[in-house]
Amino acid sequence: MIQSQRINWFLVVSLLIFPLIAYFHLTVGQQAISISDFKNAIFAYDSTNTAQLLAREFRFPRLIMACVAGAGLSLAGMLMQTLFNNPLAGPYVLGINSGASLMVAISLLTGIQFFGTNFGLISTALIGAFAAGILMMSVVGFLKSQVSLLLVGLMFGSFTSAIVSFLEISSKAEQLKSFTLWSMGSLQNVLLEQIPLILLFFVFGIILSALIVKPLNLLVLGENAASLLGLKIQQTRIVILIITALFTGLITAFCGPIAFVGLAVPNITRILLKTQNHFHLIAGNLLIGSSFLLLCDILIQLIENEIQLPINVLTSLIGAPFVIFVLIRKMK
Amino acid sequence: MIHFKQTEIGYKSPLINVADLTLEAGKVYALVGRNGSGKSTFLRSITGQNPLISGDININSVSFKKANAIEKSKTIAFVESKFDGIAFLSVADYLALGRAPYTNALGRLSQGDWDFVRQVANEIGIEAFMQKDTLSLSDGERQLCAIARAIVQETPVLLLDEPSAFLDYANKQILVDKLLQIANEKQKCIVFSTHDLDLCIENKLEFLALKNNTLTKVNGLNKLELIGLLEGNL
Repeated sequence: MIQSQRINWFLVVSLLIFPLIAYFHLTVGQQAISISDFKNAIFAYDSTNTAQLLAREFRFPRLIMACVAGAGLSLAGMLMQTLFNNPLAGPYVLGINSGASLMVAISLLTGIQFFGTNFGLISTALIGAFAAGILMMSVVGFLKSQVSLLLVGLMFGSFTSAIVSFLEISSKAEQLKSFTLWSMGSLQNVLLEQIPLILLFFVFGIILSALIVKPLNLLVLGENAASLLGLKIQQTRIVILIITALFTGLITAFCGPIAFVGLAVPNITRILLKTQNHFHLIAGNLLIGSSFLLLCDILIQLIENEIQLPINVLTSLIGAPFVIFVLIRKMK
Repeated sequence: MIHFKQTEIGYKSPLINVADLTLEAGKVYALVGRNGSGKSTFLRSITGQNPLISGDININSVSFKKANAIEKSKTIAFVESKFDGIAFLSVADYLALGRAPYTNALGRLSQGDWDFVRQVANEIGIEAFMQKDTLSLSDGERQLCAIARAIVQETPVLLLDEPSAFLDYANKQILVDKLLQIANEKQKCIVFSTHDLDLCIENKLEFLALKNNTLTKVNGLNKLELIGLLEGNL
């Protein structure tokens, strides 16, 4: 029971640190905004006050988007790692992002809108994410080694990016511009009025994940042993597919592709918490994932004057070496 | 306990025909046969991972064709030939997963469940490892943990696929001792596949011999007779 003490400590400490990081994230932008302006922006909003306008229309949405993106991608990564019993799995390396990106590219670059304007991009990305998820789950049955799943994911990523390049060449300048901006990835693209919908999806995904804690704990034993303990494997796969596609599609639609967060954070969480109890792992991934992306975004804003770094570039800079680290640890 | 009637086991074409066979509670059966004779297929067919071609298997008079996943998980526990350990999974948590068929949708163990887990750990002699990581144990210790997890599942039938394959001589004997003790004390029906003929003969176990698509219950043969039977010279 020493184990659970360690976890309790970890959760208490990170719950204390998290608000500090969030506060730092709010105040780090170029224009200084006082605490009272933040307070007024929520409770006594005056749209003629520039500081309050900035806080309400830009800082808060960006904070929430960073938390949702970090936490959601981490949770999606954890689910895929547990399902595939593979520490190298994640929404990005398995091509779930690529599926969403491909659909967004087709929509933005050809000008074909699959759905009405407001939910158009989200629905488009969600369909791409679902399709990629179903493809991956049907392929996984044929693969024996953990690395080959990763290779298939990367090949799928290359394949979709080839199609995207082809679309880019044959598209009009204006469409190309809007797609390029989207594909750079940004946490600032979200509007205040979209936040409630995003939070609704986000909370729904977390509740679904909490409901499959028992199947997740059993899956650690492998699919065979888990099903002999009464696990309904097909049902569990579908729920995991729904959650990961939901999170990945949603986040990709708003922020563009964000690489490696979904791979690195679940590994870091397991190493820090030293547990396979998914109730604790879900909490850990939510906290560490959102803190991690907040810290990345703080760094981006700090160096904003010297260099405009897209979020995807920074997470790749940190994440790609981490994958190599995990590979070396696994394969030695 | 386990009753086979006109059961055909295999993949597309039948590999094993079991016309009429009853396995009893309180006994340990050693499933023997040469490589490729279908030992694993036989075990996997009892667990339901491998569907039967025809016929049925009744366990405690319940048809296993009709049983659902939870009913099956309360009837049969299965131990693989090797448990490699899982990073960050303690022995206590590993054993606790064996209670899954009995816990609610959230998987939380009751006080009674935990008491049972501890009792089993004491019986198997692994209580000292309970807080250890499953990766940090030796092969022999891990095999005992895997068996303990299967006993925690509290099923009348316990199947083991070559549990002695990766064990040294002393651990092989400990394994058989534990299996005999469990079968006797808990009145379980235990079947394990093995190539360790000497070990089984020394411990006077009953054999299930697989040869030429048939499964025979044999008793009291010496090693030469047994090998002759498996080679097909007898």
